[in-house]
Amino acid sequence: MIDNLMLGLETAVSPENLLWCAIGVVLGTVIGMMPGLGSATGVAILLPVTLTMEPVTALIMLAGIYYGSQYGASTSSILISTPGDSSSVVLTLDGYQMARKGRAGAALAISAIASFIAAIISLIVMLAIAAPIASWALNFGPPETLAIILLGMATIVTFAGENMLRGIIMAAVGLLLSMIGIASGFTTARFTFGSVELLSGLEFVAVMIGIFALGEVLHQIQRGGEKPIRAGFRDLLLKKDEAKRIPGPALRGTFLGTALGVLPGAGATLASFMSYGLEGRVGRHRKELGTGAVEGVAAPEASNNAAANASFIPTLALGIPGSGTTAILLGAFVIFGLQPGPMLFEQQPDLVWGLLVSFFFGNLLLLVLNLPLAPVFAQVLRVPYSYLYPIIIVLSLVGAYAVGNSLFAVWVVFFAGVLGFFMKKYDFPAAPLVLGLVLGPMLERTLVQTSSMGHGNLLIVFERPLSAFFMVVAILAFVVPPLWTAIQGRRQKVQTQKASVDA
Amino acid sequence: MKRRSVLTAGAIGTVGLALSACSGGSGGGSSADGEFDPGNRVTMIVPFSAGGGSDIAGRAIAAGLEEATGATITVENRVGGSGAVGYSGLVNAEGDGTMLLASETALITLPIVQDVDFTYESFTPIMKAGEDYNLVVVASDSPFQSITDVIEAAKTEQLNAAVSGATGPDHIAWSLIEQEQGITLERVTFESSSEVLAALMGGHVQVAASSPGELTGQLESGDIRALCALAPERYEYDLLADIPTGSEEGVEVTFAQWRGFIAPGGIDDAAKEYWIAKAKEYEQSDAYKEFIESNMLQPVTAYGDDFVEYLHQYAADVESVLGN
Repeated sequence: MIDNLMLGLETAVSPENLLWCAIGVVLGTVIGMMPGLGSATGVAILLPVTLTMEPVTALIMLAGIYYGSQYGASTSSILISTPGDSSSVVLTLDGYQMARKGRAGAALAISAIASFIAAIISLIVMLAIAAPIASWALNFGPPETLAIILLGMATIVTFAGENMLRGIIMAAVGLLLSMIGIASGFTTARFTFGSVELLSGLEFVAVMIGIFALGEVLHQIQRGGEKPIRAGFRDLLLKKDEAKRIPGPALRGTFLGTALGVLPGAGATLASFMSYGLEGRVGRHRKELGTGAVEGVAAPEASNNAAANASFIPTLALGIPGSGTTAILLGAFVIFGLQPGPMLFEQQPDLVWGLLVSFFFGNLLLLVLNLPLAPVFAQVLRVPYSYLYPIIIVLSLVGAYAVGNSLFAVWVVFFAGVLGFFMKKYDFPAAPLVLGLVLGPMLERTLVQTSSMGHGNLLIVFERPLSAFFMVVAILAFVVPPLWTAIQGRRQKVQTQKASVDA
Repeated sequence: MKRRSVLTAGAIGTVGLALSACSGGSGGGSSADGEFDPGNRVTMIVPFSAGGGSDIAGRAIAAGLEEATGATITVENRVGGSGAVGYSGLVNAEGDGTMLLASETALITLPIVQDVDFTYESFTPIMKAGEDYNLVVVASDSPFQSITDVIEAAKTEQLNAAVSGATGPDHIAWSLIEQEQGITLERVTFESSSEVLAALMGGHVQVAASSPGELTGQLESGDIRALCALAPERYEYDLLADIPTGSEEGVEVTFAQWRGFIAPGGIDDAAKEYWIAKAKEYEQSDAYKEFIESNMLQPVTAYGDDFVEYLHQYAADVESVLGN
């Protein structure tokens, strides 16, 4: 282990590698901030550029883009409610609320610190036990993933906010929209009306940009007269009591993110939703969630960073990508003539360890960059909204076009934008819709796979210990909270009755 | 996750297209003496996202053709509809000799299973660059030692076979084996061959089939074992040389995925001949050799009308499995 670290250090601190690591994380931050341009797109765009470099240098830079974009994506979520990537959708809740209250600088600082904590802890996990964790993660087959996705669905309870019914309606709309396209495991096309573009379903990123970015812009225009947010310099800095509230949720988020990131196919978006849901259950300030709570920024931000890092574990140790972006990175390995797979650690130790150690420098640099820049970025909000929204619209449409190289995605953004506007106007929460849209295809896929594995018998989820465990937790997560509220309601009733009788 | 589509050099390609459109289509065309010159701006559409097998093949072929032609070939990932969006893009480019598409099995399967407005006859097939046969694989701790063991077991119990995609080449290969041997295997459908590998190594399914290039890392480490190659002859690569063919074990099924490139329909004969000549030049290059070897393909090529003939037969085979 120590030998490996030294070997890694030797590779990572060469001036050339440090330089490209820095370039990678800065580029990643910028790419992450652009709506629609997520890490997967960013890595793919810049992959051809790296072909002339040494493989290890190229991979260090590409990985830097990946985790750098996790930092950047939250910035645009917080400032202009425009998620840079699907894993920072959750940041548009409390992060954006904080910004509206003039605490944008603080929110950005919280997200940078939480990201850093998560990155370092998940990196230590990677360095120490990558191989055993990766082998263990293979125990998670379709039934186990199905149970975890159901557990993820249970977080709707948190996202629905005040009105449970509206939350469930929006989650159902999300699930329904996710049904568009070819059915998983079959060849039937659903709701495509003969459109070739719809065969692979609605592009999730385009829907997200529409609902959040365009919807918010339309909403602001309609309300009109929105004053720019003038925050004093003091307001931009993190307060002491806010700083104290970071570590708890950040650690919980890191744990969830690392765990879900290792599983093939689960990923950062689910992790960020689930960690927000977890805060809604166990956080000390859970009542404040949704109104600009520190926990609502720290937890999801930590978990999406941890998940991004952890997705390297199966990628490097098994040659099985843990996320969409690492799948592209695996392609890069092949292009560089490296054979990804379980032998990589033995055949290319300097490359693997060099890459991992470079994560440390990259994240350190990101923290150093992002903390002082937080108040600077927050100045964006001083710009009157009428100047800001054309820029947001243009960036959104360009981002949507870039995703599929097609104008079709731009239309999707328009329609989703109108939908998002009416959702805001009539107070329907957007997060459950996104949750339904993200989890829908995974839910369907694992359900069909589980059914095939059980030859039509879905009850096999209860016959396998791991999936049975998660199923029980999921069922509890659905049943207990409403039951709890009901019991408490009754108890209060009884007490008031008692009080009136006593009187 | 939904397949994340990808910009890649696409933006550059789009700008390039726009430019060549502005300049009045000066890029490409037949000169008076019947010679075709694609000009300096050629686009290679890859109908799948960057980093995947099709993308790697498309980029390798594009780079090889760049060398042969001296033109700049921009790779453009047009993603969506399991490849349908990219192929539809080529339908719209009818008659344009400067557009190419890195093609594979989806050219045949999509028209059979989906409502798309093209078949292989809508295009001008140029080059089949190589064939990619499936290996039947199991996890290292599997009780199965040969394909015969699998077939025997399938007669008495329900076995699960992981496939990547409901209409992928591995699904077709298993269907052909089922037809020949009179067995049935339950399919568990995954999104990609790496998910198939994870399910196999985790013991969630019993067997899988995939192309060698997708398996080398795990074969080398011993995490999985190959039972047979569904190929007419044994592979010559060191790693694969000991793997018996299906027919050595009594399973007379061979099925390959092919890779190559096609041009739009309705292009001039001069353009067609030009690309065939350049593709043949590419076949002689070191770049081609490296492409074949690094992806563990079989260098079985076919050009123009021979390629069409091959596709005709291939479509009939696929139709027998996927057509209702």
